[in-house]
Amino acid sequence: MRRLLLILALFAVGCMEWDYGLEEDFDIEASARGLFICNEGNFQYGNATLSYYDPETRKVENEVFYRANAMKLGDVAQSMTIHNGRGWVVVNNSHVIFAIDLDTFKEVGRITGLTSPRYMHFVSDEKAYVTQIWDNRIFIVNPKCYEVTGYIEVPNMTMEQGSTEQMVQLGKYLYVNCWSYQNRILKIDTESDTIVGELEVGIQPTSLALDCTGKLWTVTDGGYDGSPYGYEAPALYRIDPDSFTIEAKFEFQKGDAPSELQLNGAGDTLYWINDDIWAMDVTAERVPVRPFLDSRGTIYYGLTIDPKSGDVYIADAVDYTQQGKIYRYSASAELIDEFYVGIIPGSFCWK
Amino acid sequence: MFKRVAIIMLCWVVATISVATAQERHYDIDEVAVYGVRPIGDIGVQQTKLDSLVLKETISLSMADVLAFNTPIFVKSYGRATLSTVSFRGTSPSHTQVTWNGMKLNNPMLGMTDFSTIPSYFIDDATLLHGTSSVNETGGGLGGAIKLSTTPANYDGLRLQYVQGIGSFRTFDEFLRIGWGNAHWQTSTRVSLSTSPNDFKYVNRDKKINVYDEQMNIIDQYYPVERNKSGAYRDLHILQEVYYNTGRGDRIGLNAWYVNSNRELAMLTTDYADDTKFDNRQREQTFRGVVSWDHLRDVWSISANGGYVYTSMAYDYVRDPGNGTMTPMTRSRSKINTIYAKAEGKYFIGNRWLFTANLAMHQHFVESRDKNIILQEGNKAIVGYNQARVELSGVVSAKWQPIDRFGISAVLREELFGTQLSPIIPALFIDGVVSRRGNITAKASLSRNYRFPSLNDLYFLPGGNPNLRSESGWTYDAGLSFKVGKEGLYSLSGSATWFDSYIHDWILWLPTTKGFFSPRNVKDVHAYGVELKASTSVQFAREWTLSLDANYSWTPSINCGEKLSDADRSVGKQLPYVPLHTANINGRLAWRGWAFSYKWCYYSERYTMSSNDYTLSGRLPDYFMSNISLEKSLSFSWADLSVKGTINNLFDEEYLSVLSRPMPGINFEIFLSITPKFKRGK
Repeated sequence: MRRLLLILALFAVGCMEWDYGLEEDFDIEASARGLFICNEGNFQYGNATLSYYDPETRKVENEVFYRANAMKLGDVAQSMTIHNGRGWVVVNNSHVIFAIDLDTFKEVGRITGLTSPRYMHFVSDEKAYVTQIWDNRIFIVNPKCYEVTGYIEVPNMTMEQGSTEQMVQLGKYLYVNCWSYQNRILKIDTESDTIVGELEVGIQPTSLALDCTGKLWTVTDGGYDGSPYGYEAPALYRIDPDSFTIEAKFEFQKGDAPSELQLNGAGDTLYWINDDIWAMDVTAERVPVRPFLDSRGTIYYGLTIDPKSGDVYIADAVDYTQQGKIYRYSASAELIDEFYVGIIPGSFCWK
Repeated sequence: MFKRVAIIMLCWVVATISVATAQERHYDIDEVAVYGVRPIGDIGVQQTKLDSLVLKETISLSMADVLAFNTPIFVKSYGRATLSTVSFRGTSPSHTQVTWNGMKLNNPMLGMTDFSTIPSYFIDDATLLHGTSSVNETGGGLGGAIKLSTTPANYDGLRLQYVQGIGSFRTFDEFLRIGWGNAHWQTSTRVSLSTSPNDFKYVNRDKKINVYDEQMNIIDQYYPVERNKSGAYRDLHILQEVYYNTGRGDRIGLNAWYVNSNRELAMLTTDYADDTKFDNRQREQTFRGVVSWDHLRDVWSISANGGYVYTSMAYDYVRDPGNGTMTPMTRSRSKINTIYAKAEGKYFIGNRWLFTANLAMHQHFVESRDKNIILQEGNKAIVGYNQARVELSGVVSAKWQPIDRFGISAVLREELFGTQLSPIIPALFIDGVVSRRGNITAKASLSRNYRFPSLNDLYFLPGGNPNLRSESGWTYDAGLSFKVGKEGLYSLSGSATWFDSYIHDWILWLPTTKGFFSPRNVKDVHAYGVELKASTSVQFAREWTLSLDANYSWTPSINCGEKLSDADRSVGKQLPYVPLHTANINGRLAWRGWAFSYKWCYYSERYTMSSNDYTLSGRLPDYFMSNISLEKSLSFSWADLSVKGTINNLFDEEYLSVLSRPMPGINFEIFLSITPKFKRGK
């Protein structure tokens, strides 16, 4: 019996080992340029991460948020924006926005009370907008005290179908694309926090950009086969923000899925993902015939252009369940560097 | 409150013990079977049978709990009273086919079965058919199949049993069974109700609480002690059975099972939402009814079953936008109606040949409404699908034992799902007694198998992919088993099985660039390994019985497909969430009316990435889990009573089964069972 008890006691030894509580000290040079990569992670698994890449030294640091703070970033890191030397990481299904120090990656504060945040846009030091999915309101927050201070309710939109996405500002007006089961661009007066205009485009505009000539660009994904909301050929739209009308429409093949509209630093070349990577001069009158970069079994999921060098960074989600890979190309499509980051790298933020 | 109830119960127990006689517990040590009397129907079959002692251990256990501690298969649990799926031999949960009294339990929309919704007290007979052996029962079991069934209770007169469980986190489990029977009729009504806020405390290591100064600078951070938020549940099950036996070879049975479940979906450890502002809830109502007729003769038998299943699932994710009214963010509804019919025949020629054939039909009608939207024109619509699919599965088999020591069995199965016909599914089994001494038996089997995509795989909006191919695979296994013992003194048995399977066109749901998930045939998988089982019972002193059951499985499950791109590092790696090593030990020590049990299980580290990389944010270290219980049974002239105390997670281990899903630490439950003795009580 004693022997039996001893064996049973041995089975109990060797419990789960955890590596928590250790905070790593980073000290990135304050003046150094860098690229943050938000790795979404798998929905409902809370394994989103943040990576940091130095384009000069070509060194990448993964899981910097966890390593600096000894806690998880959360579930679905959707986007990041920088304002006044602080990074604001929007973690969609954790219902939180973390403010971090850009040099140490340590948390300096957080905004909670959100529904399902997607993107954050600063109007001033004391006012920012946060778009949502599954909510028909754009949240107004005060970043200084990390508080939700108000809402902009979007008309003709229910919570169940709520979707406001990316934001660009021109003067006092902010433009927002409404994506999931939506077809419009909103125009918001940032002084009165009211919607002053709406523009119908195609089905499901995914992203928004403002070029060097002051024109707005959006690209739709066209919905999907069987959707009661409609299914059509996606299109790239050029919009005149003053008259708030569509100036030009460039149609793709039905079934295509264009997304991730980006501009280079000069604002004169548009890039987007449509299986391959595409580039187009903002003054062009037709979409190019050949892509900037072919897909090679890759699953291009995120895209950014170095505003200084014009280098093109492309995120490959690989199989969505392993570390994604970032490819860095020159503006002439020559491979400069490649490195692994976290699961499903989806968005970038330049420091 | 709980402490007070526990003290009252303890006093009652002490008082009762002093006036009662001990009710003897019987753990029979069987006589070891003489070689050569292996059932001809089980030639070469690799199976694990769970006895009623295991299934009826406590009313609070679901089949997921029972399988985790008593079988070599892997149970992936998202938490207490939350989705729990099982998988055999390194395959996926949808590769496990499950039947209840012959009727499929797998959700036709999802393809898998949630074992947390099956109370073990409602199952009288559970058999696991590993790998190839599942072809005897059903198609599509690329990993295996689990047969669950109810059986007549064999009552003589009126019988009643009531069990009350009170546990940690204000958990209440209640079970009532009323039955009556005679030589011809057997009826039974079982009711179980489990409720709990399920708000156990745990240290949340995935987040920190900030302490700010007046200028909103963080001056301190700490890991919070949190409660499991939004994890409450209320599960009601009612099972009605009626059996009639003519005594002349005909049996008729009726089984009707009603489920009413209302479960919150617990928040992730990484969720910063205010749980009072959100409600995330799943409600289910299911009715399953089966009528069966068995006609038995000396050398042949036929049986016919008919059944009906209705399932209504509602998922609501609502939040209070600030006006005090919970407003839907997601409002998903699904309804499943299934009609089932099965006919089966068996024919013996002498005692050397057995021929069997059966044909089963499941006709599903599915309505899925996932989202209410306003269209571009301003009118309303629902995103969802309506589909019907007939699933036919027919099988013939011939089993031959030319000599007592050797048997061979051939099985051919064919399936039709909708208009898609599977290729012939063949399976071959052989077994033989290698040595009479020790009853050493060798078994081997080989099969080809297919699994059709589920209805959600094909039609879900958005993302359903009607162009999916069926998953297919070859499986073979071979093993040795032995059994020795002496009746009333000891028994010792064990088995070792090698298995090997290749699965092609493995279906996975992956994100798309359009923002939703869609299933694709993406992987070829080589799953192989070893299953070891051992079981012993010893009566080592007068009235002392010790029994031990142990299982171990080594299950490499390797992605052996083509690289998706140069960046893909998953080829040659273990599949995520499939542990390489799984083990459990179940020990019982009985003396007179006392019984002590110790249950232990182990899962090795599970990868969360297909590339098997280690990350801080994605670690699931290995863990051991230990549960104990002590039971005292008492027999009075008017009733049998038992009192049982259980301690789960004995060593208060912090562990995870799935990332970001909290699991409870040490917790307790007390059960009181009463079985009144009526005049003709058995």
